[in-house]
Amino acid sequence: MTTDLAPPAPTSDSVAAAGTVDAMKIYGIGDAEVRALDGVTVAFETGKFTAIMGPSGSGKSTLLHCLAGLDGLSSGATYIGDTYLASLDDKQLTELRRTKVGFVFQAFNLIPTLTADENIRLPMMLGGEDGDAAWIDQVITTVGLADRLHHRPNELSGGQQQRVAVARALASQPAIIFADEPTGNLDSTTGAEILDFMRRAVRELGQTIVMVTHDPNAASYADRVVFMADGKIDGELSEPTSDQIFERMKTLGR
Amino acid sequence: MAGSTALIARRSIRARIGRMIAIIVAVMAGVSFVSGSFVLADSLKRSIDDFISELVQNTDLIVRAERAFDQDDFQGDNAREPIPIEIADDLRGIPGVDVVEPDIQRNASVLNADGGVITTTGPQFGVVWDGESLAGVTLKEGRKPSGADELVLDKATADREGFEVGDTVGYVTDVNIYQATLVGTIGTADTDSLFGATIVALDLPTALEHYGANGRVDGINISVVDESELATVKAAVQSAVPGGIEVVDRDEIIEETQDSIGQFINIFQTGLLVFAFVTAFVAAFIINNVFQITIGQRLRELALLRAIGANTRQVKRLIATEALGIGVIGTAIGVFGGIAVARLIIALFNAIGAGFPPTGTVLLPRTIIVATIVGIGVTMLSVLIPARRAAKIPPVAAMQPQIGFQAMRSRRLTAGVTMALIGLAAFLVGMFVQPGGGLGLTLLGGGGVLLLFLGVTSLTATFAAPVTRWLGWPIAKMFKTPGKLARDNVARAPRRTSSSAAALMIGVALVSAAGVFASSLRNTLVATLDDVVQSDYIIQGANDGATFPTTVTDEIGALPEIEAAMPIQITRVEIDGDPRGFAAIDPAVATQLVDVDLRAGSIENLADNAIAVHTESADDLGLEVGDQLEAKFSNQEIRNVEVAAIFGDNSFGSNWFIGLDTLAEVTAAPDANVFGFAKLADGVTPEEGDEAVRGVMESFPQAKAQSNAEFIQEQEDQINQILLLITMLLAFAIIIAVLGISITLALGVFERTREIGLLRAVGMNRRQTRRSVRWEAVIVSVFGALIGIVLGTFLGVVLSLAVPDNVISELAFSPSIIVAILIGAVIAGLIAALYPSFKASNMDVLEAIATE
Repeated sequence: MTTDLAPPAPTSDSVAAAGTVDAMKIYGIGDAEVRALDGVTVAFETGKFTAIMGPSGSGKSTLLHCLAGLDGLSSGATYIGDTYLASLDDKQLTELRRTKVGFVFQAFNLIPTLTADENIRLPMMLGGEDGDAAWIDQVITTVGLADRLHHRPNELSGGQQQRVAVARALASQPAIIFADEPTGNLDSTTGAEILDFMRRAVRELGQTIVMVTHDPNAASYADRVVFMADGKIDGELSEPTSDQIFERMKTLGR
Repeated sequence: MAGSTALIARRSIRARIGRMIAIIVAVMAGVSFVSGSFVLADSLKRSIDDFISELVQNTDLIVRAERAFDQDDFQGDNAREPIPIEIADDLRGIPGVDVVEPDIQRNASVLNADGGVITTTGPQFGVVWDGESLAGVTLKEGRKPSGADELVLDKATADREGFEVGDTVGYVTDVNIYQATLVGTIGTADTDSLFGATIVALDLPTALEHYGANGRVDGINISVVDESELATVKAAVQSAVPGGIEVVDRDEIIEETQDSIGQFINIFQTGLLVFAFVTAFVAAFIINNVFQITIGQRLRELALLRAIGANTRQVKRLIATEALGIGVIGTAIGVFGGIAVARLIIALFNAIGAGFPPTGTVLLPRTIIVATIVGIGVTMLSVLIPARRAAKIPPVAAMQPQIGFQAMRSRRLTAGVTMALIGLAAFLVGMFVQPGGGLGLTLLGGGGVLLLFLGVTSLTATFAAPVTRWLGWPIAKMFKTPGKLARDNVARAPRRTSSSAAALMIGVALVSAAGVFASSLRNTLVATLDDVVQSDYIIQGANDGATFPTTVTDEIGALPEIEAAMPIQITRVEIDGDPRGFAAIDPAVATQLVDVDLRAGSIENLADNAIAVHTESADDLGLEVGDQLEAKFSNQEIRNVEVAAIFGDNSFGSNWFIGLDTLAEVTAAPDANVFGFAKLADGVTPEEGDEAVRGVMESFPQAKAQSNAEFIQEQEDQINQILLLITMLLAFAIIIAVLGISITLALGVFERTREIGLLRAVGMNRRQTRRSVRWEAVIVSVFGALIGIVLGTFLGVVLSLAVPDNVISELAFSPSIIVAILIGAVIAGLIAALYPSFKASNMDVLEAIATE
């Protein structure tokens, strides 16, 4: 563990789209102290699909929240591109989330009162921009939602809702997309569709995606899998199969 | 940027229109009451303006007595002395003067077929009308009256009482009862009524005699030949009349009448506005509560917006835009709802005998502006705190719904106590110290109560849980599981319970305060009659506030069964630069009939040019028995009067007494009584007395003699009517409060969908589900009512202590009012529960369980 709190500044030609340096996240004090993140240093490459895996309570969701600027660290640093999040106030953080980051959650991704189309354009609308019309059209076509654009979320199936969520994340061409168990609420066929689509977004559109999951099958769509246990990084695999991941999971934290 | 928040806000209102309707109704009720108060006052003013203009359209100049002293109350012209009719003859020869017409306006009442005075809600007048006169009235049927045996009535009265032209109609004046033939009916241009008044019109010679005018008239109306020479003629008329008489033109008359009536309407309007603002204040609670809850329910949605890049300002603006949209809808409906409210208020007041004339509807731009400020203002203020809280939602809550608001509980208690104490202090200072007169009273008293309500509301959250547990105990015992669930659910969200109960609390507090005030007023009245009035009969005009002839008390006093009878008249006398209200009494018998707690001197000495003074006024002016002082009377005569007595009890109604003989010397106004007292002679039973008095009263239908018990009963009925009226005016606020409880409960049911589904799944039936919601509502409303009763009783006590002792000297509480309020609260709870309990029991169990 390094004591140097000022890590090497990420440069614009750095390959990492986001990362953490010695990230600590501590809940409670004294006997009740829980180290959700216990000195995590990790970097996520641009143009790659990375999965973070680990059992419940391993700190994988906390890592994602902190990386995305949704939550703060107790100590250490997180960065997106060449920006350290700790140096930003709430306003700048919001701006960063709006322009540089995309999100896909497990559930409740969409504003129920807005149509699919409006939900996709929402981040741009919040910024008072129109976005890149050609790009948005391409995203919508790729997601295959052209005929459902004017439906409300409750008129869409679970898979369709998640595709809208992914389209929204892609629409603003963010530096990085964070996905938190995006297929957790879906059946395996629909889930596979979404994962396949996310992988195509990385391969064909050059998007960077970091996904948290506990499903080895979902993780097998990623270029790289980072394992976590007890708030620490516990190894990684490159281009793994789901069997390899499954085997690795058995030995996590030992 | 504004586009996205506006879009989301618009969609959100549309999607949640059901729960938004509650807010719209709350805004609407407040706004329509405010707008209605203005519409009513403006419409009344406009109709009075129109009426007055119509009435004086043919008159160019009016000659009348000057006022003896400035009076800024609305007794106005009644205080003017009549002038000799001979003046009219002197004016006829003046060049440029066309018609000269003496005008009389006195007491006269029409008799119905049974020989009793017709009771009306409007005033009753006897006037002179000679056909082609200057008065702007129109003959509707028949012809003008001529001679002592003919009269004309306003058509509205004739129609209502079923009199036809040719019928014999009885009427009674301050002089006597007369019978005459109805020869015609009159009205103004397009109405049958003269602004709701009952009019007896006679020709001039008959009027002078039958009204007891003693050769004096109230004014002389003049028309000029050429209106362009008005100023010249006015000056000529002015120089022709003796001193103490003034000449005014039409415009001055119109303006003066508008001012004096306008003043009265303004007070009425202010009174209504107080209730309107109470309603708006209660509405604010509901709006705040509903927004607070819906924001809680939309937590994830708002957090999601934050997560994908909405900043705090945008979230705040989103909530504010939603509120604004709803405020605009509610306000728009409310402004026009005001027209209906104005009609409703007129109906309400007429039902207790206020006698509003028919009016048109006047909606001024000012009304719309004020109503809009109130509507939008109340909505935006109510949403201030919910919006700020919404903006504080951490974005991570989108993924971790269990992260809610961090409650600001520690600050709540301190803030509540501080607010309540400051409010209490302001209220007490306003009531007892009364700095800054009426304005200070309104600001400190009203503002203090407002703060007190807010403070208490904050505080109730801290004890809502234990108190409602205690309240719910019998319900839990009686209704087993559903009852217990009801009780637990109330105690589970003490903040929500307290704020939905608060709205009801305010309405109940005001009703209770009025109740204490009214009971105290009644008991004081009873005590006054016991202590001060030694008589057995009280005589008054048959219609409220009407006078009656002195012959009534003379004849009753002459009965062998009666030991003494005394009339009371009223007048104004200027002492030390201010006009003071005097009661004129008969010093010879006064001490037998009233005990005013004589401190010095003697009432018997009141006979000539002497006055009696209450000890407080005597102290103020440094007066002692035997002092001489200057007094200016209503005929503008200045005399030296002597202080004959100083008395200690003014609950009788006046701080100043004068002898009736002296009054007769200093006024030419009709000799009319406002009150009379009579006492039974020794050894006469009440039955014998009643019979003798009734015998006399039969020839005086314009007056009524009541025993003390009957008088108290009548006063009590009137007090109760006013209490009822206050309750009716608070009904708006109370209805909104009930609506608030209902919507809060419905939202609570919605939040507990899964829980209710679970209960249903494990075997709770629909009836039990309904029951648990129903009793939850009852506990909340009874809780609100209890706090309201405590707070209101306190306010009522302070109010009763603050008014002068001659109005209220005894405190009294009415258990029946408290019981009625509690029963009302239970009913209110049951009504509030109708919709939410239906919602809860009709849930689809499987769907409910599947709800996230």
